[in-house]
Amino acid sequence: MRPALVFSLLLCLLLALDGALFVDGLSRRKAEDATLAQLEVATSALGLTDLAVATEARYTRHPAVSDPMAPFMDHPGAIEHFPTGAFWLPPQH
Amino acid sequence: MLIELSGVSKIYNQGRANEVRALTDIDLGVEQGSMVCLKGPSGSGKSTLLAIIGCIFPPTSGKAAIADRQLARLPDRFLTLHRRETIGFIFQRFNVLPELTVLDNITLPLLPLGVPPKERKLRAQELLERFSISHRAQFPAGQISGGELQRVAIARALINNQPIILADEPTAHLDTTLSREFMEIMQQLKATGKTIVIASHDPLVFEHPAIDRTVTIKDGRIHVP
Amino acid sequence: MAQTNLEKQVNILDYALSSLWRRRMKSLSVLLVFASVIFLLASFQMVTQALSDKAKQVLAYTPEITLQKMSAGRQEAIPLAYKDKLAGIFGIRRVVPRIWGYYFDEVLLANYTVMGMDVDEMPESARLDTALASGRMPTPDEQGRVVVGHSVKKALDIEGRNTFSFFRPNLSLKAFTVSGEFSQGTDILTNDLIVMNLADARDLYAIPAGMVTDLCVYVANPKEIDTIARKISEALPGVRVLTRPQIQKTYQVVFGWRSGFGSICLLTALAAFVILAWDKASGLSPEERREIAILKVLGWETSDILAVRFWESVIVSGLACVVGMTAAYIHVVYFSASLFRPVLMGWSVLRPDLHLLPRMAAGDILMILAFTVIPYLAATVIPAWRSATVPADSALGG
Repeated sequence: MRPALVFSLLLCLLLALDGALFVDGLSRRKAEDATLAQLEVATSALGLTDLAVATEARYTRHPAVSDPMAPFMDHPGAIEHFPTGAFWLPPQH
Repeated sequence: MLIELSGVSKIYNQGRANEVRALTDIDLGVEQGSMVCLKGPSGSGKSTLLAIIGCIFPPTSGKAAIADRQLARLPDRFLTLHRRETIGFIFQRFNVLPELTVLDNITLPLLPLGVPPKERKLRAQELLERFSISHRAQFPAGQISGGELQRVAIARALINNQPIILADEPTAHLDTTLSREFMEIMQQLKATGKTIVIASHDPLVFEHPAIDRTVTIKDGRIHVP
Repeated sequence: MAQTNLEKQVNILDYALSSLWRRRMKSLSVLLVFASVIFLLASFQMVTQALSDKAKQVLAYTPEITLQKMSAGRQEAIPLAYKDKLAGIFGIRRVVPRIWGYYFDEVLLANYTVMGMDVDEMPESARLDTALASGRMPTPDEQGRVVVGHSVKKALDIEGRNTFSFFRPNLSLKAFTVSGEFSQGTDILTNDLIVMNLADARDLYAIPAGMVTDLCVYVANPKEIDTIARKISEALPGVRVLTRPQIQKTYQVVFGWRSGFGSICLLTALAAFVILAWDKASGLSPEERREIAILKVLGWETSDILAVRFWESVIVSGLACVVGMTAAYIHVVYFSASLFRPVLMGWSVLRPDLHLLPRMAAGDILMILAFTVIPYLAATVIPAWRSATVPADSALGG
């Protein structure tokens, strides 16, 4: 078999995998839509403002509503010591 | 005359401090179907002369006509195309690519011509059978014997049915038996109408009866004894 | 003619593939490094996009305006009396007070978010039970009853029993009974949440009567949010007025390429490419020079040799791209971006099950290509020009 054919087959295989992932993604999105209604109710009824992912520091748990002093609560020139502080940026306003 | 050179000179790095005059005033004619040997020590300009005949680069001055095409006027691209159709090269150390199979090595010149795999294989098989190395077709070229390598190099030079064969010191790294075998094959090719030019300072070559004429090159000039 | 041209290109592709296969250890290493870099960048892109998307969808229902009292740049309790000052502002539908904060469990090192409010006053409160996996929301007169998130239930290990106690500031214990649990589908919002009555929260944190932590303001016309926000600022200086658009905007930029982790991803990519480009540009090996000279003598044009190098680069970078992005998608969707967990959740003890589903748009794919494949092609095609100029006659002679 010529190399170009082998390569094409490999590429087709990879793209078929991507296709399968895409199809699975579609069905997952459908399932996700079902939980979206619950999330909307929770946000509305509890007045939630942030995603509950990084619970170690208040400014990474509630970046949208934390006061700007929160990351410096230890002292003014405090260096970031929470790992999630590297990922969850403070709001820009 | 299939090969006609008149007043050919070649200067490398012309006008610079490291200017080298490799060939001066070369007049050479080779008839179709003949076998000529270019004799001379290393550094005499044999390889440069072979490169001009082989359409690798044009001369700095003078006229060089190979198979009715004037080289001096050809741009690089057309030189390559002309070389493809006209010249089959046999290198000094055969210069096969050791990781490629024998078959792939032989068919290398056919790839840029757009020859499909089936046809390439067919043409190569013919030559492999002619030179009795069909059983080595799928072997990596780096794993075959010296004699078989020699025949692979010759087969590659013939794959496109080029009318002119050029060989650059083909027996330099071969023993007597293989050198004799090489010249026998050249003789057979001459009989089929090929025009052959061999650059060599090996007596086994220039003293071979199949050689029609020997041209001695010394210090970039043809030496007439 | 066209057929021959096509066949020629396929032949050259064959040669490029076999050339890569001949140097398979090196080709594979380059492919792996390249794919890893793309994996890293694509994973980052997908995680942040999935989280942004989710935040965008969900935070559309956040209170229109949230009021916090600030003092010396820090948030402090806001007087309930401020509610009366807002009565004069036209367009405000209702104002709901809340007491919320954090409770640090010193045994488990977990940080819970405690929310106290009279849920009946909030929008959609009648449907809140649909967000629960079991039980129900406590009524305003029920003391000590809470609804907890999934991770809280796991952390406090209240399977079987349903009571637990927290410390008040004076170290006396306050007992709670779990009356409901949030559904796991709401994990991304509620997994660390403990919801209780306003009175219970006031008791737990010993907040004086007449003070709360913030006020949720609901307006009649969402288009008036900014106008009303301005009026509130004028009426109540020293109060931080957060509007819904501002809160939503936070999540559009909270995962930036300028964040620490984003910079690490980018710098890694750059370093990898500098190394790759250096390798490519640092010249040809004698074997490579010999191969090119031989091909030229055999009738290969300079453009054919360039085509071989180009195809080699396209094959390696193209494959690396497909492999890297596919692996990134699988990592994010099927493994919940587990490699990024330390950065996403850090020292958090309470960890939600992230069900991330990124949306790969053409723009995202192009962006990754622009940072990866294009620099690689540039780094390989330019030295290829140099390689293609190896003189054919260098194959002649010993």
